[in-house]
Amino acid sequence: MASNRIEELKKRRQREIKKKKSQVPVGVTFLIFALIIYAIFLATDFKSSMFWIIGLLFGIVLQRARFCFAASFRDPILVGNTSILKAVIIGLIIMTIGFGIIQFISIGDSQDFDIENIPGYISKVGMHTVIGAILFGTGMVIAGGCVSGTLIRIGEGFILQIVVLVGLIIGSLISAKYIQFWDKCIISKTHVVYIPRYIGFSKAIIGQSILLLLIYFLADLYHKRNNIMK
Amino acid sequence: MKVYDTILKKPWPYWVGGILLGVLNVILLLETKTSWGISTGFLGWGVYILEKFGFDPSKWHYFVMNRNTFEIGETFVKNHYTILILAMILGSLISTLLASEFNWKRIKNKKQLFFGLLGGILMGYGARLSHGCNIGAYFSAIPSFSLHGWIFGIFMFVGAWIGCKILLKFIL
Amino acid sequence: MAEVKLDCMYETCPIPLLKAHKKLQTMKVGDILIMETNHTCSITNVIEWAKKQGYDADYIEIREGEWEIYIEKVK
Repeated sequence: MASNRIEELKKRRQREIKKKKSQVPVGVTFLIFALIIYAIFLATDFKSSMFWIIGLLFGIVLQRARFCFAASFRDPILVGNTSILKAVIIGLIIMTIGFGIIQFISIGDSQDFDIENIPGYISKVGMHTVIGAILFGTGMVIAGGCVSGTLIRIGEGFILQIVVLVGLIIGSLISAKYIQFWDKCIISKTHVVYIPRYIGFSKAIIGQSILLLLIYFLADLYHKRNNIMK
Repeated sequence: MKVYDTILKKPWPYWVGGILLGVLNVILLLETKTSWGISTGFLGWGVYILEKFGFDPSKWHYFVMNRNTFEIGETFVKNHYTILILAMILGSLISTLLASEFNWKRIKNKKQLFFGLLGGILMGYGARLSHGCNIGAYFSAIPSFSLHGWIFGIFMFVGAWIGCKILLKFIL
Repeated sequence: MAEVKLDCMYETCPIPLLKAHKKLQTMKVGDILIMETNHTCSITNVIEWAKKQGYDADYIEIREGEWEIYIEKVK
């Protein structure tokens, strides 16, 4: 509950403000437009319709919850707040279980499976991951938003984020053009490390969930203990 | 009116967002066998633009080493990344409008422009090098039990720390 | 018991928060900081931070997508 003085200030300002225009009709128009596209996709290509509807929902959830991956990394460092990081970890735990079950069903018990056929996002790990992550993390903080945050803010009307999008395209092209150098000295020597291959599915799912829970509680502790700015 | 305000006007708690994003990504994987990814789409758009200018980026080494960057039947522009990107922007726009909070927000000054562009380029470069952005190589990769997701997540903290130093020194 | 204005229009995350922190340090106990911002994340980000620091905080929307955040320095 805010103090009396803030309540007073709020009331005073509320009287000074002109009535706001409702943007709901425009919003509903766009919603209908989005649903028409969904219907067209549904009639022609089920997979595309799925990407479309889930993409819309991703956008809505990210915007409504003010969900910002950049902040989940930045705020613990800058101000000692881990509430977004904790929310990300909750999502990761849900997905660990969900993805684990889906992957298990799709490849079954067999020990020799082709990594390419496993549903999910699996890639080589090595020094290039480290360098890429550091560059990405730095860029994310100075641009004021990660990739998903950039898209969400374009939807909210930020012109700056369109510039970030242009930067993303330029950066992707530069990276892809000169990837040969990295491929020669790092990437080609690295391998995919798919955890269930080494320890099995049940251990991977349970182990990773426990690890994430542990990180969650550590983040919680850090949040309560920490007030870096003081 | 009160229900409307709670759902569509006031920001949701972060944990609600976390749960919903997780569930949505699981549904996406279940239905399409593909998890949430974004940044590869930007590469596709860039390649498409370069092609319009007469270059031939599809011969680049990148596409030799990543033959299945795009799935069969997908082109540089017509692919599932593009659908996801456009849907996310539209979703955010709809959600902003339903809360009556939309307005154009101009760029404040040249410094903001410079750091925005630089940050974008760094993110784009880093994302291609490590095969994914904060969504593909982190939010979808860790639950896929790929070690690169964990490594990416841990070293994003290092990057964010460097970013914070730059932020406090030059931008504030 | 002054009211201090702080303009954070068109700033990106996390500049409004850092500016607020800087400003609050120069203020006396009992003063109220009035921040004007149009960054959508600020109304959750700044408020949460301010409350964690032990300040009183709240916000209202003054125009479409523009908010005023009030932070009272209580200690």
